[in-house]
Amino acid sequence: MMADPAHRPLVLVIEDEDNIAIALDYLMTREGYAHERLASGAGALDRIGALRPDLVLLDVMLPEVSGYEICQAVRMDPALGAVKILMMTARGSAMERRKGLALGADGFISKPFDLKELRDEMRRLLGQVG
Amino acid sequence: MRATWSLRGRLVALFVAFGIAALLIVGLGLLAGAARPTGGFVLAGVIAGFGLLGCVAALWLWIDTRLARPVDALAGMLRVLARGDGPAVDVPHLGDLGPAAQAMAGVLAQTRGALTEAGRRETARLRSENARLEALLADVPVGVLLCSDAHLLAFYNGPAVDLIGAGAGDPGLDRPLFDFLREGPILHAHTRLKATGDPDAASDLLATTRDGARVLAARMRLRPDAGGYVLTLRDVTTDLDAHARREALLTEVFDQMRRPAAALVSLVAALPTGADPLEAALRDEVARLAQSVTALSQRHETGRAEAVPMPATRASDLLDGARARIEADGLTVTTQAADLLLTCNGFEMIALIAGLADDIGRAGIARDLSLRITEDGSGALLRLAWTGAPVGMALLERWLDAALEPGLAGVSRRTVLATHATDIWPETAPDGAQSLCLPIPHARRAVTRPAPLLRPVVYDFDLLSRTRSAGVHDSPLSALTYVVFDTETTGLLPDQGDEIVQIAAVRIVNGRRLEGEVFDTLVNPGRPIPGVATRVHGITDAMVTDAPGMDAVAVRFHAFAQGAVLIAHNAPFDMAFLRRTSARTGLIFDHPVLDTVLLSAVIFGQQEVHTLDALIHRLGLTIPEEARHTAIGDSIVTADAFLKLLAMLQDRGLDSFGTVLTEVRRHGRLLKDLN
Repeated sequence: MMADPAHRPLVLVIEDEDNIAIALDYLMTREGYAHERLASGAGALDRIGALRPDLVLLDVMLPEVSGYEICQAVRMDPALGAVKILMMTARGSAMERRKGLALGADGFISKPFDLKELRDEMRRLLGQVG
Repeated sequence: MRATWSLRGRLVALFVAFGIAALLIVGLGLLAGAARPTGGFVLAGVIAGFGLLGCVAALWLWIDTRLARPVDALAGMLRVLARGDGPAVDVPHLGDLGPAAQAMAGVLAQTRGALTEAGRRETARLRSENARLEALLADVPVGVLLCSDAHLLAFYNGPAVDLIGAGAGDPGLDRPLFDFLREGPILHAHTRLKATGDPDAASDLLATTRDGARVLAARMRLRPDAGGYVLTLRDVTTDLDAHARREALLTEVFDQMRRPAAALVSLVAALPTGADPLEAALRDEVARLAQSVTALSQRHETGRAEAVPMPATRASDLLDGARARIEADGLTVTTQAADLLLTCNGFEMIALIAGLADDIGRAGIARDLSLRITEDGSGALLRLAWTGAPVGMALLERWLDAALEPGLAGVSRRTVLATHATDIWPETAPDGAQSLCLPIPHARRAVTRPAPLLRPVVYDFDLLSRTRSAGVHDSPLSALTYVVFDTETTGLLPDQGDEIVQIAAVRIVNGRRLEGEVFDTLVNPGRPIPGVATRVHGITDAMVTDAPGMDAVAVRFHAFAQGAVLIAHNAPFDMAFLRRTSARTGLIFDHPVLDTVLLSAVIFGQQEVHTLDALIHRLGLTIPEEARHTAIGDSIVTADAFLKLLAMLQDRGLDSFGTVLTEVRRHGRLLKDLN
């Protein structure tokens, strides 16, 4: 399925590391995505509910509320069924990936990530590739 | 004088006298009859008849008084002497028989005295040994129980009282063991050991106290001669704390390093590339730093499950222990376990599961639970399920922060997950059933000990070549480093497509097996594993799906064995599999090789059986049932056997690699079916 070319995807980045957020900001801007960043898991669910982003780029290890909690809460809310979730982790073990996918994530990427690899994964989840 | 005539002489004299008397009486009768004109013959007959009758009566009287009665008396005296000290033997008419019997009685009394004295000494020694053993057993930090086949206590030491006492009161002799410990795991282990028919077999199990308050690591060993079994019990809660703190620090170090490294890489990647060589150098260094941190971090993740050697725990034992704890908390639970051996710390897992079940009950989510363990790739999946509301991740995270046990503040439930390189999460099934999923990364199918694998070989002399061994030929045995390895395979024919499915090795340095230096991995053989092979080692196709291929493993193993002498039991079999990888990896396994089959032949002679089971039995070693026919279990026991053989070789003056090799060549043509 191809996305509407006129639609500018909205990505919510939930990442507490400022420097990684800067790199992600660069990528989003380059890809032409509308984006917003949250530096903590607190209040993330409310923001997702309000924004209804196309994609949530979600760090696993967040202060206050973990990425897993947010992922599970989004998936338990039928109103947010269309929101895609791409989880990011610095640890990157197979068990983390399995846990993330079991909790309803649509994709999983390990840090440090290659920007091209991240871009391709985001495009895939946003339906921008065949 | 009484002994001057022998019994035989007396009898001869008696019968001669009887003959002479008979002749005299007949002669006298004939003489008297001849003097009468009529009836002379009648008179002669009467006189001779009565005379002879008198002689017979006299003969009978003599035999009765001098022979029959003394023989009876002698028999009675001998009976008395046979039972202990009796009167002196006094039988005057039996010639030398009396003194002979007296002499024999003397020797008998002397022997009896010596025997009694020896028995007394031996009894004293045994009592003293028994007292020492009791004192020793009282001091050892493990509980020791001796039970009959009917599971009644025949012996227990002090620590055992501390471990299994409390709720059910102190243990007592002849009381049923099951008054103190739950019967399930013990009966399973007992049946398993009986079924092996191996007098030296031992089985590791998890025993849980009757009230579920304590989980004990136990080892059962049958007593083949006396019947019954010995159960050693160890409290496994004590050494966890220090390890957990060390592990937490390492984890924090890596967590702290990973995040800035990841940020550096992302930022540098986002920078526009220029021609500045300084910038290029910076990019290179950042990339190297990030790669190092990532690689070290992954090694830490992979290695921490191996940092503490985990025992093989039966899935059914684990669930039985968990059930005891959960039911003690007033909840109900049903269990169902696949017949698997889980590589995990059973005590920690039981405490974790029971703790989470208790939390579910306390939170009012459910009181009826089910526990299932199923096969899951190369591991197992434990599922704690219920019908009702789901558990949110936030709640679960809080539960995981709790201490594993009240007395173990430094060990949280999260620590247990980390040491097992696993995680836990809630899942909702399509039918609404809720569960907590806990994968256990390493498991294998439990197998009853199979008939020994027959591995026919003719020894491969190339393994003993001088070229191969040149570097170590003159080295003292004690100065060499050894890597003892074992493989599990799809079959016995490497030349016909069989492949390795598991390889493990341990390292021996300075005559000591290093606990921390272990190589142990499953291998994807790239072909199906036949059922007959799975029945031997318990490894299935699903377990090796995600395992690395043999070429990648061979590269790692080659590095692990670098500079060492390779040791294996029936080395040609395992070496044949390793050598086949050389064409693809370019790495040649040209290490010096020693074979414990041949070392056994050198020490014990070729006429003996040299299977691994026979060898470890002969050397007094033990391998738990759960570890036999696992590559790591067999590697460890082969290494221990090798160390014992090494000492025996040195005792014989074979103290350099070269001298051992020369001796081994003499035993090289050992044609035997080997296990």
